[in-house]
Amino acid sequence: MINLKKFKYEPGEHEAETASNSYLMSLIAIIMGLPLPIINLIATLIFYLGNRKGTYFVRWHCTQALLSQTSMLFINSYGFWWTISIIFSDENISNNYIAYIFATLIFNVTEFIATIYTAIKTRNGIHVEWWFYGTLTTLICKSGK
Amino acid sequence: MEAQKVEMFIMSNSKFFESHQINGIRERLIAIDDSKWAMISTIQLKDPTTILIVSILAGSLGIDRFMLGDTGLGIGKLLTCGGLGIWTIVDWFSIQKATREKNMQKIQQFLY
Repeated sequence: MINLKKFKYEPGEHEAETASNSYLMSLIAIIMGLPLPIINLIATLIFYLGNRKGTYFVRWHCTQALLSQTSMLFINSYGFWWTISIIFSDENISNNYIAYIFATLIFNVTEFIATIYTAIKTRNGIHVEWWFYGTLTTLICKSGK
Repeated sequence: MEAQKVEMFIMSNSKFFESHQINGIRERLIAIDDSKWAMISTIQLKDPTTILIVSILAGSLGIDRFMLGDTGLGIGKLLTCGGLGIWTIVDWFSIQKATREKNMQKIQQFLY
């Protein structure tokens, strides 16, 4: 699921710090923004926009953090509004709902642990690529310049 | 400029700049004329740690941005209550880098 790979170049200390901050910031934003699922995405997007002129390593990790948060938004939003409709309308708790919330919880916990792990590794200058997101990020984020 | 003066300046001010900028500053300081020393030694640089503390305590009012000299961003942050709290969180993680870059801009006026 998580691959430790060699980056195109050896990232400097300041790059590793900023890249690691993009993951840490998303963690803090999740905790501060609970139960709203969009806060962390907006925070990661602002951080990404702030660093879009940064070095390739920083941009790459900001993009990976942003992509992972984007997929979380769809899954969590659906669960959030489903819960709201159960609380405030006539809808009942069904087996489907319990299964969905359980799956969402597993997905969130996995993402949370992966984010913590990536933040720690990236801080030490180690390049961490996630399954699917890593490949997608490489396609989106151009080394350019 | 004398190497001893330059080393003294770097030792006492290295925390105000990004680590990868230090070598460039050192080389540039050695190359420039001695007459600029008086101006360079009196530059008021912002401490990234102080700005971070201000950002944590009063970030939602935009005080950190005002201190940096980004008045426009500060007013924006003030009027939106720190971007509804989101901008404040983002700034906790980016304000130190922004401070170091401001310091670099400030010293560059004298180096070139």
